[in-house]
Amino acid sequence: MRLLPRRASLSIGGWCVTTAISARNLRKTYPGQPPVHALGGIDLDILDNEFFTLLGPSGCGKTTILRLIAGFEHPTSGTLEMFGTSLLDAPPHKRQINTVFQNYALFPHMTVAQNIGFGLEMLGRPRAEINAAVEEMMALVQMTQMADRQTSQISGGQQQRVALARALAPKPKVLLLDEPLSALDFKLRKAMQLELKRLQTETGITFIFVTHDQEEALTMSDRIAVMSDGAIRQIGGPRDIYDHPSDRFVADFIGDTNFLSAETVSADGTTIRLSSGKEITVSGAPVQGKVSLAVRPEYARLTTEEAGLLSGTLGEVVYFGTDTHFHVALDDGTAFVLRQQNGPDVTVAFATGDRVGVHFPPATAQVLRD
Amino acid sequence: MADRAFDIRKQTGFTGIAIACFVMLYMPIILLVVYSFNAGTSIAIWEGFSWRWYTSAWANEQVQEATFRSLVIAVWASGISTTVAVLAALATTRTRKFKGQTTVFAMINQPLMVPEIVTAVALLIFFAMIKVATGYTGLFYLIIAHSAFCIPFAYLPIRARLQGMDLTLEQAAADLYATPFQAFRRITLPQLWPGILAGAMLAFVISLDDVVITEFVKSAGQDTLPTYMLGQLRRVVTPEINAISTALLGISVTMVIAFTLLSKFRN
Repeated sequence: MRLLPRRASLSIGGWCVTTAISARNLRKTYPGQPPVHALGGIDLDILDNEFFTLLGPSGCGKTTILRLIAGFEHPTSGTLEMFGTSLLDAPPHKRQINTVFQNYALFPHMTVAQNIGFGLEMLGRPRAEINAAVEEMMALVQMTQMADRQTSQISGGQQQRVALARALAPKPKVLLLDEPLSALDFKLRKAMQLELKRLQTETGITFIFVTHDQEEALTMSDRIAVMSDGAIRQIGGPRDIYDHPSDRFVADFIGDTNFLSAETVSADGTTIRLSSGKEITVSGAPVQGKVSLAVRPEYARLTTEEAGLLSGTLGEVVYFGTDTHFHVALDDGTAFVLRQQNGPDVTVAFATGDRVGVHFPPATAQVLRD
Repeated sequence: MADRAFDIRKQTGFTGIAIACFVMLYMPIILLVVYSFNAGTSIAIWEGFSWRWYTSAWANEQVQEATFRSLVIAVWASGISTTVAVLAALATTRTRKFKGQTTVFAMINQPLMVPEIVTAVALLIFFAMIKVATGYTGLFYLIIAHSAFCIPFAYLPIRARLQGMDLTLEQAAADLYATPFQAFRRITLPQLWPGILAGAMLAFVISLDDVVITEFVKSAGQDTLPTYMLGQLRRVVTPEINAISTALLGISVTMVIAFTLLSKFRN
């Protein structure tokens, strides 16, 4: 697993990598019968200038981390530092951290410009400076002509931009984003993903982004922490997480995956036997004996029964526009899905009910603990 | 369609009962208003239209004095009770849940539950002791008494408004470097205004209208408009009473309408 982002891995040339947020054994338990362990003692280092994403299903603890960093909640135990200084005794208004809230939380009794200027006003900056910063921020999010509108008079996408501008205006060291795109429609969400990435690159502010949408995480992040049940399952760049998931949960949560049961053959775990009896060479299994093999649908292809690593019967063929999904019932009873990109030269040589073989490059398969 | 759901409007006599209720509720008030314009001196025999009782009430020094006193008390009482109610509402909605919160809630609303006459007697005895000890007999006692029983009326709409407000707005303010006081002044208070105004107006009307506690607590020569009217009823009854009542009714109705309109601007 690669720990540093691509940018930081180039650091031999004199790049200085600073840690923006550092958490050690951070724990949050809500009292109750029984107590709720929202966060079970996590360690986390988020680097300066990084686009870092906390990804996981709802209730995995990702928003709790965000609320602890913002200061809306206090950890049960553990340490939390920003640029080497403990955050734990600082109330939210003393932390150089701003948040883009899931529901935007725009002040309904203020105009767009007043909302954006609020942070600087609270910091006691002179009027001229506030006005200049508000102008700059409105230009950055392309809302200049909306300055005097009430926040109830603008669309959801525009509210989202205002929330972003408001949080960026005081130039925080760290920006927290709590599923800010979840209320937008598909096309707007796509556009805002690129926009956010651009803003992060332009401002150089550390973004900590919370989402349950794996595609969003893969598109924008330098690094992703995949979470479940109050624990971090894996931290890595989008490619690492996608191509080398560390366990079944990560492989299953990110993208679509086929799980095959297999068994190690050689003592070093580099040769494993599939249910069809065929043996393949992999980079190494984490354990001896029974293992799971994770194969991405787009890395596998259909072939003749004899040529395939596995064989089975072709079931449904589903057309999705950009690609076609083939559902194969393998001979050991497992369901296997293959994805093939559509194109002018692509023809399908098999039909439902045919005996088919399934082939995949062994290097693309990930051997996981069963 | 034989098994239609039970519909109370389809019950025999429903319309009749409904009409009877409305007549009983509003007929006396309508009569009171109508006879306030009576040209004669009777409150039951119509002798033609005139403004004379309004003019006479307006010119009556005792009425003027009592009205002024009522307004002074109502302004002070609604001001004090609304301030206390805002603080109480903040304490019961914006703090971590604490032990005995329900008890506190019940205690704040105590005047709604304790019979008014009991409070009145208790205050009479209590203030009598203070009056003897200090010798002070001013309006202060009435203002304090009115403030106390007006608190729940101011508290309830303010609390409702606070509970309906989006908590993340206050968090957003704190996130944007606002101190707790700044967050309250700049974010919570502007949104709380309709609730505060509604509470203050309710308290004002309740104070203006009070007879029982005022009658027990007031010192000599401290008649408010309602206690003056009560005193008048023991002597000669002229449509002047109707005119004063109609004016009071006008104030109350205006307040209630303003209150309803403000509640509609909630969002």
